[in-house]
Amino acid sequence: MNCHPITRRESIKKLFKITGSLALTGVMTCPFQKTISAWAGSTNKKFIVEGIGQNPEYSVKALVEKVFEAAGGIQKFVSRQDVVVIKPNISWARHPDLAATTHPEVLKAVVELCQEAGAKKVRIADHTIHDARRCFAITGAGMVAKKTGADLVYPRSSLMRNMKLQGHRLDVWPVFLPLVEADKIINLPVAKVHSLSGLTLGMKNWIGAVGGRRSALHQDIHLTIVDLAQFFNPTVTLIDATRIMVANGPSGGSRSDVAVSNRLILSDDPVAADAKAAGLFNLRPQDIGFIRLGEKWGLGTTEFQKLRQTQVII
Amino acid sequence: MSQAFFLILFIFLLVESRLPQDIYLDYSVALNAEQDIDLDYPVKFFFQLDPLIWITSFISGHQWTTGFGWALGIIILTFFFGRIFCGFICPLGTLHHMASYIRPALKKQRMISANQKHASQKFKYFLLILFLMAALLGLNLTGLLDPIAFLFRSLALAVFPGIGTGIKELLDLTAQSDIKILNYISYGGEVLVSPVFGYGYKAFTSAWFIGILFLFILFLNRIRPRFWCRTLCPLGALLGLFARFSILRLEKNPEKCTNCNLCVLSCQGAASPVPGQEWDASECMFCFNCFNSCPEKAVVFKLGWPPHVSKKPDMGRRAVLGGLLAGLSFPLLGRLDGRLHHVSDARLIRPPGSLPEKDFLKLCQRCGLCMKACPTNVINPTLTEAGMAGFWTPNLIMTQGYCEYTCTLCGGVCPTGAIRKLSGKEKIETPIRIGSAYVDRGRCLPWSGNGPCIVCEEHCPTSPKAIRLIQGTSLSPAGKKVNVKLPYVDLKSCVGCGICEYKCPVKGKPAIRVIAAGESRSVANQILLEL
Repeated sequence: MNCHPITRRESIKKLFKITGSLALTGVMTCPFQKTISAWAGSTNKKFIVEGIGQNPEYSVKALVEKVFEAAGGIQKFVSRQDVVVIKPNISWARHPDLAATTHPEVLKAVVELCQEAGAKKVRIADHTIHDARRCFAITGAGMVAKKTGADLVYPRSSLMRNMKLQGHRLDVWPVFLPLVEADKIINLPVAKVHSLSGLTLGMKNWIGAVGGRRSALHQDIHLTIVDLAQFFNPTVTLIDATRIMVANGPSGGSRSDVAVSNRLILSDDPVAADAKAAGLFNLRPQDIGFIRLGEKWGLGTTEFQKLRQTQVII
Repeated sequence: MSQAFFLILFIFLLVESRLPQDIYLDYSVALNAEQDIDLDYPVKFFFQLDPLIWITSFISGHQWTTGFGWALGIIILTFFFGRIFCGFICPLGTLHHMASYIRPALKKQRMISANQKHASQKFKYFLLILFLMAALLGLNLTGLLDPIAFLFRSLALAVFPGIGTGIKELLDLTAQSDIKILNYISYGGEVLVSPVFGYGYKAFTSAWFIGILFLFILFLNRIRPRFWCRTLCPLGALLGLFARFSILRLEKNPEKCTNCNLCVLSCQGAASPVPGQEWDASECMFCFNCFNSCPEKAVVFKLGWPPHVSKKPDMGRRAVLGGLLAGLSFPLLGRLDGRLHHVSDARLIRPPGSLPEKDFLKLCQRCGLCMKACPTNVINPTLTEAGMAGFWTPNLIMTQGYCEYTCTLCGGVCPTGAIRKLSGKEKIETPIRIGSAYVDRGRCLPWSGNGPCIVCEEHCPTSPKAIRLIQGTSLSPAGKKVNVKLPYVDLKSCVGCGICEYKCPVKGKPAIRVIAAGESRSVANQILLEL
């Protein structure tokens, strides 16, 4: 097919395409670099907060608030007039108590915190696996959006844009645009088991932030997860482990697959957050390929003593 | 006015035949697993209004379709006011009316001669008798030419997706632009367009044929006004049978008539309105054009009591006998392909809750309502998969979509109950199987030694999963032994939803595929001794 020599017009077109996409990624990544340097100025030490709801009648909202308080308050992460995008895991059209998706109460609490911090706009975005409209309705994300006034972005194909990920494995891949066109990104995954990667946690949540031939990513799942985690680099990761799926992941489907854990894990170190959550499944962080690789490529650490560790119990 | 109203209502209900836009359902829906998502509007309304669908469903499937009271109402209305349905309610009739009389192709004398009664008008009685006879013998072909089913199918599967594809391509083009304004326009456009024309690119196999047929039928109006209504429409024929008892009648005063033929010029049904010919009550669509156009008031509509029977519908013996013969032949010929009595096509996968094939063919109107409502676009009209008898009936094509585990919309919208209404709970707990999956080991990445992949297992919605992974070794193309997780299908758990086939990275002909074997609705099609 490509046996004919490249014409002048084609080469100019290609040149435009390349420079265009580079300029675009340049613009996209710019705000993150700023935020990273801003943290470096204020505190050098990253943190990890574990929230435990011991009181059987605890409120999820209160736990979310306490956890953010322990990390220095939501104002530390979200400034006034920020556009905040939240990436929950609402991939499956499953009811919240089946633990396949982020619990709507956690999602709601985080949205409200962002709004209280003065965010200009709060968006909820996920490229779902099941039909998005059904996912929005059944996981409760739609209700959260309505009650809080947050935008729930429908993952339409025109919102997937080829971007340069510059990863170890992925070079150019279609990315769900709202997740990069924001000042702050909050990763809000649910903790559950996964047949190939071992666990679905924070870093793996970014598979739901891209388009294209997603199912081919599984052929090198750990490295692609790390590539995506590096590209998206969230402001903060809050792992919803109020209830966790311990079997039949990642879609579950039965209440017997679910264990109550009553925990939230908040960290600005994506590797540490995942490593902490792995403990809930009685797994060592090193057992999970993407955590191991994430640490190797410098995304974070699994040595909690290097972080400011806090525990809140209500 | 009423025509416009009903046409708009029809199109509105057609557009609404999809997942409700209000994704902001109550928490109760999110938290209460018992509750299913349902449609906001009674999208079946026009099908309930259609007496032909009611009657054929009854004589073939012996089922009272829900809401048939409306259809009964239309028949009673016909006893009083003739084919008023054709002139005032039928949305397809309205389209034909528009195609015929907005800038008509025929002028004056040619229009007058085109509006003369024509022998071809008997053909609709032939079709009616064919459909009734075939229905009696257990093959319901009515939906192929029933105006409501015809219009719904044409609009929902061909016209709307066609326009939608065009708009979406345009919007995708602007979305790729680096100019921010164009991007916003594109997103905004999609927000407006998607609820009407469907999310993403809709695809229906054989929609091209449905579309061409629709255009052709519309085109026929340029040769003879309301060609369909006069010559083809079986519903018109049915209503015509009752119309002769109509109390509202055309009375002619031949002494006032100046033979100006203005009534014929405007007659929609070619019902011989002009004094001097006998009025055909069965052809008249009660548009009242003749009455309005007559300058001498030589033709007037009057309520006649006591009712006296107007002229018999002119159907002709040949149409009756031919209809009976054809109606006898089609069901028998339709069974000759062996799909009903021997083995069905492996790729004929019916929507969840479908009746056994024999009963299904008695009730399915091929209207396309299930195909329109399906959120994943998996339900397609068949071309050959179901044989001649099942032409345009619904079929799940798993490379286009998949049957969502908790979704039961198709059964909820089916106007005749060919697809049973299920609750999400019933669908999952029974479970309702629509087929079963099998792994094509030669194409499968782990089985063929081409690398790890668990996509089918990951997406499998049942609990416990019907696709299990077993650690094993396979020979890589380089000849080395590689350790991989190999997918196996557990037929006891598999419901045939097809998400594995849809999501399989091997495209076109996936490495895991669903066949109809194992579907709950067929006893003969079971695989396992016990379930």
